[in-house]
Amino acid sequence: MFNLIRRDFILQKWQLLLLIFIVLFFVLIDRQHPAFIFLLASVIIPINTLANDEKAETNILLNSLPYTRTEIIASRYLGSIVFIILATGVTSILLYVFNKPFSITDIAISSSLALLLLSFYLPMSYIIKPGYNFPVALISFLILSGIVPPMVSYLSEKFTSFTDFILKLSVPTLYTSALLLGLAFYGTSWCISSLIYRRKAF
Amino acid sequence: MENVVELTNVTKEFKDFSVKNIDLQVKRGFVHGFIGANGAGKSTTIKMMMNLLQPDAGEVKVFGMDYKTHEKAIKERIGFVYDGNVFYEGLHLKDIKRIVAPAYKHWDNALFSQYVEQFELPLNKAIKNFSKGMQMKASLAIALSHHAELIIMDEPTAGLDPIFRRELLGLLQEIMLDGSRTIFFSTHITTDLNRIADYIAFINRGKLVFNNSIHDITENYALVKGRTELLDRDTEKAFVHINRLSTGFEALTENVTAVENTFGDSVVIEQATLEDIMFHMKGGMQHV
Repeated sequence: MFNLIRRDFILQKWQLLLLIFIVLFFVLIDRQHPAFIFLLASVIIPINTLANDEKAETNILLNSLPYTRTEIIASRYLGSIVFIILATGVTSILLYVFNKPFSITDIAISSSLALLLLSFYLPMSYIIKPGYNFPVALISFLILSGIVPPMVSYLSEKFTSFTDFILKLSVPTLYTSALLLGLAFYGTSWCISSLIYRRKAF
Repeated sequence: MENVVELTNVTKEFKDFSVKNIDLQVKRGFVHGFIGANGAGKSTTIKMMMNLLQPDAGEVKVFGMDYKTHEKAIKERIGFVYDGNVFYEGLHLKDIKRIVAPAYKHWDNALFSQYVEQFELPLNKAIKNFSKGMQMKASLAIALSHHAELIIMDEPTAGLDPIFRRELLGLLQEIMLDGSRTIFFSTHITTDLNRIADYIAFINRGKLVFNNSIHDITENYALVKGRTELLDRDTEKAFVHINRLSTGFEALTENVTAVENTFGDSVVIEQATLEDIMFHMKGGMQHV
């Protein structure tokens, strides 16, 4: 299974290099919040990997090699975590080198959001027809960004007790629970993808 | 004789097509050809052998094991070649090897290098820039470099020129020399099979018509030619399918002695080629 993760590095050696430049660009223009840069860096490679994997040929190849379907999915989920950690590391180094301030909170927010995004995106990519993944992801992202903020502010006004409860939590507790929640979603998503993939025909 | 692959009563249904009740054995140490028209169910059957598709009913066993519990152990011992390129087309052969090799316990780098040299394959060129023949050779080099006992190929000769096809068949004969290997390959170019196959399995409209040794097939089937007046309701029974032409009839029989008894010297009996059998069987299922 380790070999399957290594495969992504071989496949995307140029993209990894490009990633460093993208992060560098955002660090240098200094217009975006560090949490945003962390998030962007974390999800680019896992999403790009899926673009490779949605092809029928890739699935025929992987499934003809001595791997089980459970391993193929596991490598995707573990691989994404590896990429998130790596991207966070690289981004931290670049921010540090160019003397831009960032905090553990930024990393906690970006990592939990990255986990959450991938939790939805990964199983979806195994259902949607090849070739439609990217447009679907883009459209749902736009719709969500239109709907979610007003919905959240509406809910926070309606359920003030819940908002109060959240505001009372200490900052470390809040972000640790966010990260744990992200991981819980990620784990559930992993199980769902495994179930979907096991039944797939190539 | 030991069976390497055993399909028992395998059925797979799709919306507009199905493969039904397939019983197929692939015997160790032989070359098996798998023939049938386009859309007859060859690829579906091969995909079930590779566990790319799971049958709705029936059992698939490879090396006596099933895929539910021994998927890795089985695939470790199979080399595969598909009709299209399944490798990442943007990668160089060198990188494809780096991805594929660690998957196998018995990958043999020296053997791979030997095939690369023998097939004159460039290591530092993207697969998409390979010709169809070279892509095929690259697949074959990868399939042969981990000491696979069973080589499964789906239409390996499709789209290849005759010279390269003959070269490939020669190569397959060469790798069969050590006696432990088994080859199962589908094709619709039947002349390929006369050269190298020991057994032929024939699938028609999702049903396995026969799986016999080439010797049995040439003995069992014959092509009969004669004047149309000879045909009536009784004499027609001797044939699988009859093709009526203005000059007379041409028919396929599974029972040469019966034809000899009925018609005597009034008809010409010739050996049926695989193509004759395929042609008449395909028609035969429709009309008779």
